[in-house]
Amino acid sequence: MHGVSVGIERLKVAYGPVTAVNDVSLDIAPGEFLALLGPSGSGKTTILMTLAGFEHPSAGRILIGSDDVTTRPTNQRNIGMVFQRYSLFPHMSVRDNVAFPLKMRGVAKGERARLAEAALAKVRLADFAGRMPAQLSGGQQQRVALARAIVYEPRVLLMDEPLSALDKNLREEMQLEILRLKEQLGITVVFVTHDQQEALTMADRVAVLSNGQLQQLGSPRDLYEAPANRFVAGFVGEMNFLDVAVVRSGADGAVVRLPGGAQAMLPPAQIAGSVVGEAVLAVRPERLAPVETGGVPVTVEQVVYSGATMLLVARVDGGAEIRARIGTHAGLAPLARGQRIALGWAPDAARLFPPGA
Amino acid sequence: MTAPSPVAGPVIHRKPLDGGKLMLSAYVYGVLLFILLPLVIIIPMSFSPREFLEFPPSGFTLRWYGEYLADRRWQDATILSLKVAVLTSIVATVIGTLTAYALARGRSVFAGVVRLLIVGPIVVPHIALAIALYLIFQRIDLIGTLTGFVAAHVVLALPFVIFTVAAALSRVDADLECAAMVCGASRLSAFRHVTLPMITPAVVSSALFAFIISFDEPVISFFVSSIRQRSLPRRLFEDIEFSLTPIIPAIATLLTLLSVIILVAAWGLQRWEQRRREGAAKS
Amino acid sequence: MTMLARWFRGGRWLSPGAGALLLLPFALVMALAFVYPLFDLLSQGLFAPNFTTAHYQRVFDQPVYLRILWRTLLTAFSVTVLCLVLGFPVAYLLARLQGFKAAVVAACILLPLWSSVLVRTYAWVVMLRREGLVNSGLQSLGLIDAPLKLLYTEGAVLVAMAHVLLPFVVLPIYGTLKNIPPDYERAALVMGAKRFQVFREVILPLSMPGVASGSLMVFLTAIGFYVTPALIGGPQQMMISTLISQQVRELLNWPFASALVGVLLVVVLGIAAVFNRAIGIDRLTGGKA
Repeated sequence: MHGVSVGIERLKVAYGPVTAVNDVSLDIAPGEFLALLGPSGSGKTTILMTLAGFEHPSAGRILIGSDDVTTRPTNQRNIGMVFQRYSLFPHMSVRDNVAFPLKMRGVAKGERARLAEAALAKVRLADFAGRMPAQLSGGQQQRVALARAIVYEPRVLLMDEPLSALDKNLREEMQLEILRLKEQLGITVVFVTHDQQEALTMADRVAVLSNGQLQQLGSPRDLYEAPANRFVAGFVGEMNFLDVAVVRSGADGAVVRLPGGAQAMLPPAQIAGSVVGEAVLAVRPERLAPVETGGVPVTVEQVVYSGATMLLVARVDGGAEIRARIGTHAGLAPLARGQRIALGWAPDAARLFPPGA
Repeated sequence: MTAPSPVAGPVIHRKPLDGGKLMLSAYVYGVLLFILLPLVIIIPMSFSPREFLEFPPSGFTLRWYGEYLADRRWQDATILSLKVAVLTSIVATVIGTLTAYALARGRSVFAGVVRLLIVGPIVVPHIALAIALYLIFQRIDLIGTLTGFVAAHVVLALPFVIFTVAAALSRVDADLECAAMVCGASRLSAFRHVTLPMITPAVVSSALFAFIISFDEPVISFFVSSIRQRSLPRRLFEDIEFSLTPIIPAIATLLTLLSVIILVAAWGLQRWEQRRREGAAKS
Repeated sequence: MTMLARWFRGGRWLSPGAGALLLLPFALVMALAFVYPLFDLLSQGLFAPNFTTAHYQRVFDQPVYLRILWRTLLTAFSVTVLCLVLGFPVAYLLARLQGFKAAVVAACILLPLWSSVLVRTYAWVVMLRREGLVNSGLQSLGLIDAPLKLLYTEGAVLVAMAHVLLPFVVLPIYGTLKNIPPDYERAALVMGAKRFQVFREVILPLSMPGVASGSLMVFLTAIGFYVTPALIGGPQQMMISTLISQQVRELLNWPFASALVGVLLVVVLGIAAVFNRAIGIDRLTGGKA
């Protein structure tokens, strides 16, 4: 089984005065795992619902493969879907649940049972075919829901925060399970989540959304190392933000004045958007280290030991908090509360954004 | 080693008698007696062999039940009421279920008006509706007709059907129908395979309620009856003041028995739905 | 997309077209067998054939009708109070019982609810007659010499109506009491309240929405009640429902009957509407546990 591409062209979904999705375009390759990531209200669930056919676009098109399915009813889109609360039919056995899509497609009873059990074997629940959903744990129910979603070999699999109802250990196990299944089936997956950690570990590419608009589409590495705007920089992973003044900027990069007076340089690749006058400098905690000269002068507030790393919480002279993560065995001299040090970073470790981006 | 204690048996701790609680219980059981007594005393009266009402009965006979079943006029009235009740039950259940479903799964603009209309038959006194229907039915010749009776009783039964089915629908996750549709089912198919099995006990319950509401209904069926076609409640109403034989207690006992059966059935259905929702294992 | 297709396009919810179609049978039945007949009846009292308020005026001009109106309201009020006095403790106990006992008590409340009003009223007729149970019981106990006139009295109507309407007050109060988390009571006890104080300060205020809706139910039903006053009450206890019936069946005075119905509906719907607003606010401020 191979997945097909999914195309979202200039999608707009509005309910009266409220616009949930505003001009979003995405091209998902066949067999790709795309995560829709964002806080609640970002529109990620609305996009998924539009893909499924539960919501109707005010403008734009949805394509599955080469078919324009924008106005096609849900039950004719031939997609698979897994819901947040599993949505297993409580009055049917596990086998009947999984066989249900086949029943809707007119498959004969014997064949239905065979295919259902094969799907259950794929999620390693073959022995549970005769049980009722209420007798299964959360993780098991979600696996049955998965089996039901793939039993008729859909080309696209939609997942609406399917792991948020599970506890942490189970969640990680299920993440691997889903990835394994995706590789095995070659299916295209669109996965909605608000957990950026989950998106980064599972997806081939991630679409970050905020207020109904696409903020950035890229691989997890791109999102983490080169966030396109301030929102993505702050939403994905931990980030420090410093208000800086631009001394000069041009084709060869920019020079900014940091709080405390020292200057820092940024190569052109690290500058997002046009910056002049005031700007915001973003640097990840793990890229910071104490320096002898230059850098930002800070006052140490807390040093927290976390096994492999130490978290250094300090305050910049302007009042902003800054956090650094330093390896426990990186040779850092012991620090005291109230001590004044300077924190610095490599030129390509920081990014520059226009203020309020 | 100490010698065994001379006190036999374990020490029992007694809760101090709660005077307040006792008084409350006594009062409540008194009220319950008040509630049940009238119903209960009718039953033995129906077996009394004498031709007047007596309590306690001096003997035991089923003569009055026989008289009720043999009497042509009582037969006609009972059969009419049964027919009306069955038809009312079917019509009200179908219309009520459709309405409850539309309210639960739809976002129609008419929902507000509909919700207001649903409480109408409950708030408006039956005497008002009774004479309103009497007036209309006289004009269009529906007095004493099956259609007339059923139309009137369906109006009375609809709120109960709608409330019962709507409550059951609210206990079924709307996402389940969506999941069924993703699996390839049309909305109708999803309703048939997923929702309907889960609300069936409630639908049957509301059918039973509609039946008994119609069968026992005294006011409207009184006014909508004709000379020839009189409902059982109307005949009862007319005879209550004048008849002095135990035949009325016999009929009353049968009616009460019917109520008990309906009540037990409704309770059983409620338990069935609960087990279904919690996914009891199939044997 | 065509207009029609848009109306019937389903999704997460029923399409507007499908929803309207499903509501159509209900709308038809209610329009034809409820709304229209009532409007038609009311127009009889206002247009005969020209607009006139004469019939309504008659209701308020003649003291005999005013008396009947007043008596109806008073009786309904007394029945409500009696139902509360009898029914609140029952609801309270029912909310605290579990298992089999609770089921038995519940059955005692539900059975009268689902049994025929005629049967229940008839039982009272039988008990309150001159030769009835109450009189013979009192006589055999030596409390009275001659049978009392119990039937066709104000008191009989009160007691019989309270008996019939009791479940309507028990069920809402039970529902509200059942929803009060037991932790509230426990917290109060821990803070040092005595049982009675717990009841007065915690349980009683929280039970008010149930008390309000139960009382309203009983009061409104009692105002328009027909069967019990007709069988248990005599001419001296005529209420508005029996008056309406008399006007229609014996006097064939449709316009006046219509005016009476109009007054009855204004009273009932008016009180219901006012209470709806009041209860709605109450629920938000204190009722919901």
